[in-house]
Amino acid sequence: MYGKEVIIMSETYEVLSPWAEADPIPLHGLAPRLDRLDGKKIGFLCNSKRAAPLILDATEKNIKQRFPAVTVSRFFAKSFSVSSLEKDREGEFNDWLKGVDAVIAAVGD
Amino acid sequence: MYDAIYIEGKGKPTATYVFEHFANDAMSAASSKGMPVIRIVPETIVSESTATATIEAAVAAAFDNVVTVLTKPLTPEEKAPRSKEPEHPARLVFKGTLAEVNRFLYQRGWTDGLPVIPPTEEAVAEMLTGAGLPAGTLIEKLEPRLGKATVERIAVNAVMAGCLPTHMPLLIAGVHALAANPVCGMMAASTGSFAPFWLVNGPAAKDANFRATYGATSPGDIANATFGRAMGLITKNIRGIRKQVEDMGVLGNPGKYSWVAAENEENSPWEPFHVSRGFKKEESTVSLMFPQSFQQMMPFSTDDKGILATIVGSVVPARQGAFAVLLTPNNAGSLANGGWSKQSVKEFIIKNTVVPEGYYKRLGLDDSKPFDRGNIVIANTAEKNAIFTASPRFPDPVHVFVLGGFGSWMGFLQGGPEPMTIKVELPKDWAQLVKKYKNVVPTYARY
Repeated sequence: MYGKEVIIMSETYEVLSPWAEADPIPLHGLAPRLDRLDGKKIGFLCNSKRAAPLILDATEKNIKQRFPAVTVSRFFAKSFSVSSLEKDREGEFNDWLKGVDAVIAAVGD
Repeated sequence: MYDAIYIEGKGKPTATYVFEHFANDAMSAASSKGMPVIRIVPETIVSESTATATIEAAVAAAFDNVVTVLTKPLTPEEKAPRSKEPEHPARLVFKGTLAEVNRFLYQRGWTDGLPVIPPTEEAVAEMLTGAGLPAGTLIEKLEPRLGKATVERIAVNAVMAGCLPTHMPLLIAGVHALAANPVCGMMAASTGSFAPFWLVNGPAAKDANFRATYGATSPGDIANATFGRAMGLITKNIRGIRKQVEDMGVLGNPGKYSWVAAENEENSPWEPFHVSRGFKKEESTVSLMFPQSFQQMMPFSTDDKGILATIVGSVVPARQGAFAVLLTPNNAGSLANGGWSKQSVKEFIIKNTVVPEGYYKRLGLDDSKPFDRGNIVIANTAEKNAIFTASPRFPDPVHVFVLGGFGSWMGFLQGGPEPMTIKVELPKDWAQLVKKYKNVVPTYARY
């Protein structure tokens, strides 16, 4: 009995990978950065995570203190992700984006 | 993170706050959408926190990084990123003893922590006999990684889980179910630790020995134990949702190992679940839910009145997501004897499951204006006391499954999106396969 177990344990197995292949997808770089924040219109994107509005409230205090000429515009998502879960608001979201120079988003978890 | 990627794609620089423990998850999400170099602002705020002072301190600490993310000039890699994954990964990855193979697969992050069967060419070839499709057939690309769920890759994970070839058609249907609703990826990765619950219906459930009776969701049956396990490995190795990398479940959920039952169609007084959903009785299906919780109750009494009172009295107002009542054949029989159809039971539950009068005030909560009921904002409307209301997300907010052995315990499954039901396509030689593997069942010695 014990001899058989030793034989099984010493047998070798060549195994296939369980990790799937994935087709390469087009990669995109980041948008050009701003030269400065002051004087810019910053969009605050607030998703449905409970901390999101509180984080953006605190951010607004900091940004107004450091960069008094910044203006802020908020967009409230009804879910975790307006772009992937709220397709019916795509036009509204794009119009809002056109009106801002950069976006601060909460929360990306 | 998907919004940040979308916005960057529109040419607007973006700084996204991310709880520091979720940085890997954020980067994987960005890579899956073609932007592996996304800039984030790690912070120390739990995303459901309402502690204002803590949040203000954390934002003050992270704010310099917000400015840097939006203004620091881009590096060449950030302007033109390169893929981190090899285009053609090796098919055969390791050779060693049983222990060495297990250690290798575990250390690569490709197992669920339990030992696996080595997926050798020979074992995978046997598994493929159950598929009725060529090995290279692409079943789905699974988000978020868009990993290619080919028949062979499904079979490799099925071998590791300990499946039999007769499970392959159901696994293929399961892969279709995962892809049928994009929310499934979010469920598997969510902080809410949603676990897939699989309900198998139709003749294939019996053919492949899926348990529907006593201990339907307990360990001990190869089909129930390995089907869910294989789907968990597929989630990890094909979808690319791995614990504390992409799967950020906070408490975790033992259902993620394997949570599978067949409906007890033989002993149910009503039509099977898949027939309620428009499939023929002679067809076989797998249905997928993503509950967070499993609650069991002994009814106030075992007649129809006691069973229904127990259901409507045991639902907590802070619940969310899909809802299924699990009834034993005895409970379902009591209801049927009382003249209840499955549909009328559902209607009764929807109508009578309400927030008790004065409930929120007793808890010290102000319900005179919209407020957060544990993630669900409740408006001050006439329907605010209704716990189940039909909506576009939940057109059929209550489901009834008949499963388990003969007894009085009953249960709830709660959470996640509406169930998805997918037909199982059986191979032409199904009868021979069933004959070959049907007798792989445990025989318990009496003592």
